[in-house]
Amino acid sequence: MGAGQTPYGDHPTLGIKEMFNAALGDAMQSVDRGVDPREIQAAYVGTLGSGGFQIGQPGALVAGYAGLPPIPVYHLENACASGGFALLAGVTAILSGLYDLVLVAGMEKMTDLSSAAAKYWLGVSGDTEFERLAGLTFAGLFALTAQRYMLDYGMPRETLSRVAVKNHRNGALNPKAHLRRAISLERALAGPPVAHPLNVFDCCPISDGAAVVLLASEERARSLTDAPVFLRGFGSGSDHLALHSRDSVTSLRASRKAAEDAYRMAGVGPGDVAFAEVHDCFTIAEIVAYEDLGFAQPGQGWRLIEEGATTAEGRLPVNLSGGLKAKGHPLGATGVGQAYEVFNQLRGEAQAPERQVRRGGLALTHNIGGIGGTAVVCIYEGGEGW
Amino acid sequence: MGAHVSVPMYQRSVGQRYRLLGQRCRGCGRVNFPPAGACMYCGSRDGFDEAQLSGRGKIYTFTEIAPGGAPPEFARQAALTGSYIVAIVELAEGPRVVAQLVDCTFSDLQVGKEVMMVVRRIYVEEGVVRYGYKFRLA
Ligand SMILES: [Zn+2]
Repeated sequence: MGAGQTPYGDHPTLGIKEMFNAALGDAMQSVDRGVDPREIQAAYVGTLGSGGFQIGQPGALVAGYAGLPPIPVYHLENACASGGFALLAGVTAILSGLYDLVLVAGMEKMTDLSSAAAKYWLGVSGDTEFERLAGLTFAGLFALTAQRYMLDYGMPRETLSRVAVKNHRNGALNPKAHLRRAISLERALAGPPVAHPLNVFDCCPISDGAAVVLLASEERARSLTDAPVFLRGFGSGSDHLALHSRDSVTSLRASRKAAEDAYRMAGVGPGDVAFAEVHDCFTIAEIVAYEDLGFAQPGQGWRLIEEGATTAEGRLPVNLSGGLKAKGHPLGATGVGQAYEVFNQLRGEAQAPERQVRRGGLALTHNIGGIGGTAVVCIYEGGEGW
Repeated sequence: MGAHVSVPMYQRSVGQRYRLLGQRCRGCGRVNFPPAGACMYCGSRDGFDEAQLSGRGKIYTFTEIAPGGAPPEFARQAALTGSYIVAIVELAEGPRVVAQLVDCTFSDLQVGKEVMMVVRRIYVEEGVVRYGYKFRLA
């Protein structure tokens, strides 16, 4: 019944507690009849404390700073899916009946780090003993996926860049996105190489940011707003941490399991989804997600990009926010920030009219940790009249 | 700052890194690498016998890491050589491993090409040079 987010980007003057506080303020403002933060019964916080800030109790740090009562606080960490898992922890707490109003937050402070330290922290969410000692970061792992995907399914290199062009175009319209500028296909193809076939424009940026959502039981939500957004289904999963230990390098089992469970709980299928926010940390990840989420058959995901099916005007808009690619990817914040985007869209409150999705249908969010060691999928529905 | 694998942690996997020592499942007989608590093929937890892998395999997928894409502990290698190649290799016995490919250029490579394990310097941490498996074209 409420959601807020800081702009993602480079925030030299803000640390995680200040960013959390700003996102909380934004979330409280979104509650139509107002909410007293002292009524919040528990908080679930997703963050990696990236950069080795060594925050053993980030929940207490941010809750105390923001003036929350002495409620239970939980810290969840599953790499880039920390926010998604914090969200599910909050949801299951509400479903258990123990609480009827909880807070879920995700946040990350990344730009304080030197580039070498950032690569260190980004890399250690994978398999350190074997993958990392082969000289790989996540860009390298997704490059191995991309290379095999192109070989198996005949996808041209340009298709990857078209994902970046699409998401930059969406991000340009999002006032809270990190990279608010469109790029041309020529530019996207000509970026400095990172890990063949991926170049800089195939990779998400390093961003600071925080996002907060307020979750309530249906009864409580209706007392606070006339336009609640309903979570219809959710699922999550995991897989071997190391990519080379899996049957396939071109599909993520954790995502497939999360999607199957979410669709089953909601009693719907991929065809019922009107728009989605998917985890595009690298361009290839968005194409693989189309297949794992059932938007396309295995090996056919890239054709959705070629057909323009997932552009803002397409039949299934994906990453209207700009995605991780352009909106930014403050690790722990990402899964919660996706819920923030969907909340606004399903209430007809996307910040600019030209980026508002048309009414009708369900929304889906997809958040993965690393290269799919963990994954979360949620399915949302707008309130009456949506 | 680099990936942290302490000397004792590295030492525990020396059999894998120097000799590709795997484990044969007592349930289904297939070879697992690196060792795991349960068989990655049949899920059996009935135990394993040691299995020596041949070191022969085929390229399953590969990439070329540019200096900008190298983690800090490999940045010096990338700066000296301009870039380096990393592949997932499917070993003759079945398991896949990820490792660098050496003594070749990117344009020499294709999925399916045969490769052979070699022991090379991996990186330096805690003042100790770490050696382990890489692969070259067979
Ligand atoms: Zn077995």
